[in-house]
Amino acid sequence: MELENKRIIRVLVLLCFLFLSIVVYLTYFELFQKDKVLTSSYNKRQWGQEDATLRGSILDRNGVVLAYSTDNEKKNKRVYPFGSLYSQLIGYNSSIYGKSLLEAQYNNELLNVREFAPILDLQQKLAGEQAIGNNLYLTLDHKLQMKAKKLIGNRNGAIVVMGPRTGEILAMVSKPDFNPSSEKLEQQWQDLIESKEHPFVPRATQGLYVPGSTFKVLIAAAAVESGMSDRTFNDEGSIVIEGKTINNFGNHAYGTVDLKSALAVSSNVAFAQLGVDIGDYKLKDIMARAGMNKDIAFDVPVSTSRFPYKDMSKLDLAAVGMGQGKLQVTPLHMAMIASGIANNGVIMKPYMVDRVVSATGNTLMTAKPSVFSKVMTTETAAAVKDMMQYVVEKGTGKSASVRGIEIAGKTGTAENELSMKLKNKEHAWFICFAPADDPQVAIAVVLEYSGSTGGKAAAPIARELIRQVLR
Amino acid sequence: MRILKYPRPFFMIVLVNVIGFGLLYFYKTPYDHKILLAGLSMILLIGAGYFTIRKVKLGEDYLFLIAGMLSSIGIIMLYRLNMTLGFKQLIWFGMGIGLFFASCFLYRKIQVWERLTYFYPALSLLLFAATMFFGRSIKGAKNWIVIGQFSIQPSEGVKIIFVFFIAAFLKHYEKQLKELVVFHFKMLKVKPLHILMGIAYMHFAFMVIQREWGTAVLLLLVYFMLIYVYIDSNRFLLVNGILAAAGGLGGVIFVNHVRVRVDAWLNPWADIAGKGYQITQSLFAIGSGGFFGTGLGLGRPDFIPEVSTDFIFSAICEEMGILGGVSVVLLYFILAYRGFKIALYATDYFAKILALGLTLIFGFQTFIIIGGVIKLIPLTGITMPFISYGGSSLSINFIALGVLQALSAGCQEEKEAFDGVRK
Repeated sequence: MELENKRIIRVLVLLCFLFLSIVVYLTYFELFQKDKVLTSSYNKRQWGQEDATLRGSILDRNGVVLAYSTDNEKKNKRVYPFGSLYSQLIGYNSSIYGKSLLEAQYNNELLNVREFAPILDLQQKLAGEQAIGNNLYLTLDHKLQMKAKKLIGNRNGAIVVMGPRTGEILAMVSKPDFNPSSEKLEQQWQDLIESKEHPFVPRATQGLYVPGSTFKVLIAAAAVESGMSDRTFNDEGSIVIEGKTINNFGNHAYGTVDLKSALAVSSNVAFAQLGVDIGDYKLKDIMARAGMNKDIAFDVPVSTSRFPYKDMSKLDLAAVGMGQGKLQVTPLHMAMIASGIANNGVIMKPYMVDRVVSATGNTLMTAKPSVFSKVMTTETAAAVKDMMQYVVEKGTGKSASVRGIEIAGKTGTAENELSMKLKNKEHAWFICFAPADDPQVAIAVVLEYSGSTGGKAAAPIARELIRQVLR
Repeated sequence: MRILKYPRPFFMIVLVNVIGFGLLYFYKTPYDHKILLAGLSMILLIGAGYFTIRKVKLGEDYLFLIAGMLSSIGIIMLYRLNMTLGFKQLIWFGMGIGLFFASCFLYRKIQVWERLTYFYPALSLLLFAATMFFGRSIKGAKNWIVIGQFSIQPSEGVKIIFVFFIAAFLKHYEKQLKELVVFHFKMLKVKPLHILMGIAYMHFAFMVIQREWGTAVLLLLVYFMLIYVYIDSNRFLLVNGILAAAGGLGGVIFVNHVRVRVDAWLNPWADIAGKGYQITQSLFAIGSGGFFGTGLGLGRPDFIPEVSTDFIFSAICEEMGILGGVSVVLLYFILAYRGFKIALYATDYFAKILALGLTLIFGFQTFIIIGGVIKLIPLTGITMPFISYGGSSLSINFIALGVLQALSAGCQEEKEAFDGVRK
């Protein structure tokens, strides 16, 4: 009997273990897997919640309503009063096509889905009242957003305006865009998804572009770090590296130039040479600090900027030195790099949702600025800032200058897959921040296949936006 | 404060019923008084049963209370899902209590149970033959006999019969059969253990033929535990282990039904609309409940397939939360613990094996179905004891519980005598 009893207890222990595994698994599921599971489009419950709750509104920093819901005979309708203006930020909310961007990322907040909601809202539910979701207050400035969209006009591309000290996004325009209202979406869905312009790709956050000469600010920083601040270059208009000839834009020859002038005139010859001299070890180092190949956590999905090199040849180093080659960046990321130089070398994590406020006025969540990465030292940043100011004063960025405001900027005219075959298909870039001694705003502008230079096409857009912000 | 003088566990059951049926009553307008009446009947039924056990000194009084609590949760949930099903289950519950006492008294009065060794497999065979002959396929498993308006699931009964058989067999085995050779056939010696194995595997085969994978696994697990505890032979255990593993592996490789279940378990998201539909719907339900649940009547368990039987645990998790689900698991655990105690205290071999076997049926059955619906193990259709809808299942569970009760009364007397000696 003794032996049997001992074994019975072992069986009891086994059963204990099995039951415990159920409890542990349920807890694990609840804590780590649930969120992924529940957002499946096959989960019919999502739409149950949708009908029972009046979805929260989305407002700009001054309280301008950018999206709201109306309740017509138990059918909730999402209204976007500014049409396509915020389509690439807020996205859409359709019972047929699902949700995108902020509407998707902040679905739980907008519908007030929380762990304790069933208990806290019991009274409301029993009384048969319709639940009301939470409102999102964004950091965006509606007037600035309108201005940005007006400035970009019919051209495709993106504009990102952000506060360099905090990382808050003040305006963000991506073109092409679309009308996110449900009726329009249903009418145009097929055209939109089949369009060659890919209107469902928000250019500012998910568009990947060759950065071109704007990238030279990072190379200049790496040069300063490597003790090459005082180097001079003999620019004869072209340079041969590993048998390949690299030309300046427009084949200009600038003669003997120092680092500052090389950046001001955007000398490819100088920067190709710099890339080679800095070498792959230091180049990779600053790429990592700048956030290349690193996921950017933002309120909407962001594509990761690419620096896809392992072993770099001299030619690769030269190409990266002038911002070409296999480099690809998002406009948001370029705005962040400009912000980093403005903010003494510290890139702040970008954010767009400032706070979540319940229907009764309680603030449920407030965004806190946090550091994304430390890209360079304060000293290096000051040196690069000085060079960038010279770009706007005397160099390729003159058309961005505003009387009475010190602006630091860099132009870019990026070669791309189309410009290799056709003329006048370069992307026009401009990144900047202002005022240089006390930066309030950092901007990145890219115009797709514009055929013009960054100085001519993109810089004036930045100028107008700086005027509006600092007015 | 007279109410506090009532025994607290019973008071908790009353509370659960008051809250559960109360919420259901207020949830739907116009108010349906039948719901309150159902709640009252539950309290009265459980109360009557409980006080009878205490009055007659029928041993262990927790077994019945735990079953009462589980049934209360089940019937509240069924009332919430479908009033008609709830009412039917309430009737079954009333009859179940009757069966509980009947089986308890029958077991104690008639002392033939351990002598019917070969009667049990014959009865299983009969039930199996009847199912195959008169049976009707419901949802892919041919395991129902339909008589008039009722459909009976004989495999539920086979589970208990199987345990009775092993208990009776091992009792005699322990006494006299150990070295006996039943017959010689050329070089082949057939020992009693081979007979045990043969009959056990016959039962598994019945279940496999009826496509009751869950019950097959359940019987296999119980058989394994029983031979581990009561037969002192590692070799026998090993042989059985290899056979079972080979059978399982063969099933996964060659039997499409089994493979589909394993696929749906490994990656239900690959085919959400098809193979993975049931399990993913179950996970949506569990996930949307969170820790505290949506509240009774406020979730959408109507989206879950088979919600009143196999997937009732998902509905409980959705509306009563994971904490509610965990409490249910813990209730089963106390039930099993009480059963183990009976097995430990029992002095008679037959009683000991029977108590352990019946307890393991409850325990493993719970693990198989809950583990299945939460995607811890592959899903096999099997009922959740005392909670799932189904007359056959509830009746058999109460019969098994009645036998456990009778066994506990037996060992209570022995224990008291024992304690008397010690004093």
